[in-house]
Amino acid sequence: MPPDDPVSATDDALLVLYANGDPTAARTLTARLLPRVFGHALRLLGDGAEAEDVAQEAMVRLWRMAPDWRQGEAQVTTWLYRVTANLCTDRLRKRRGVGLDEIAEPEDPSPGAVEQIQNRARHDALQDALDQLPARQRQAVVLRHIEGMSNPEIAQVMEIGPRAVESLTARGKRALIDLLAGRRAELGYEDEKAG
Amino acid sequence: MKKQDNDAELEALDALFDTVRAHPPEVPQALMARVLADADVLQPTHGRHHAVRLGLRAWIADLLGGWQGMGGLAAAAAAGVWIGWSPPETLPDAGALILGYESAEVMSTTAELTSFGWDLDGD
Repeated sequence: MPPDDPVSATDDALLVLYANGDPTAARTLTARLLPRVFGHALRLLGDGAEAEDVAQEAMVRLWRMAPDWRQGEAQVTTWLYRVTANLCTDRLRKRRGVGLDEIAEPEDPSPGAVEQIQNRARHDALQDALDQLPARQRQAVVLRHIEGMSNPEIAQVMEIGPRAVESLTARGKRALIDLLAGRRAELGYEDEKAG
Repeated sequence: MKKQDNDAELEALDALFDTVRAHPPEVPQALMARVLADADVLQPTHGRHHAVRLGLRAWIADLLGGWQGMGGLAAAAAAGVWIGWSPPETLPDAGALILGYESAEVMSTTAELTSFGWDLDGD
């Protein structure tokens, strides 16, 4: 892996470069990892400002840990998802008792008029439903179906067995279906199916 | 009928996941800037500066073979001082030879040493 080719470098190689004082490694790592960290925090918390705080703190921990990172032992993304989830859990514990109506809705950046409204409605509906899931179910569902991770990867992030992951995602999906029951037409899926 | 409903619900949920996955949230520019600023502050560049500041000392230590080499050098120097001060019987006394005497016994009774107060006989 040539050190002057940060685009093709692995995450942990970039982290080592950062620890060794490379001036461009942090920019590449941030561009690669921050969207995932922020998106994950946003899905788990349902609040943009809090998700920003968590994402920043998770990245600070990554920078601090860089000199001690042992290349090849673990995936940086796995470590980062775990840190993000733990920070979100702390926030959710502190927030316990706050009503759903008091939680700000996440921003939807998608462009376009009707499509934007439709996508916004879908984002909001899913986020509302996710917010009502137990934290571990929510985390497993988000990692599986939004982050697109495999069950073994999720097991590493959540520090549980693959079977427990399967159970959590299955129960989470079932709960989401119940929570979203009757909203298919409202969210435009009946029309798409018909069209 | 029930199974058809379940399948439709699962399809709708998967479609919802697809929509959300296809439109990931944009990272606010201010957050990106804060994270990069943190990275800059926390980057262990202090190590680099330290290396420059300690460069001469490190260079000398490296030249002499690190702490092992420097330890050996110190031991050799101490042995040299001791041998010079108190040479074994079989060795000629370098000090006496430099001062032009045949042997150390002659030198020890001379005024050159007693003038320094080194007359050990106390005479």
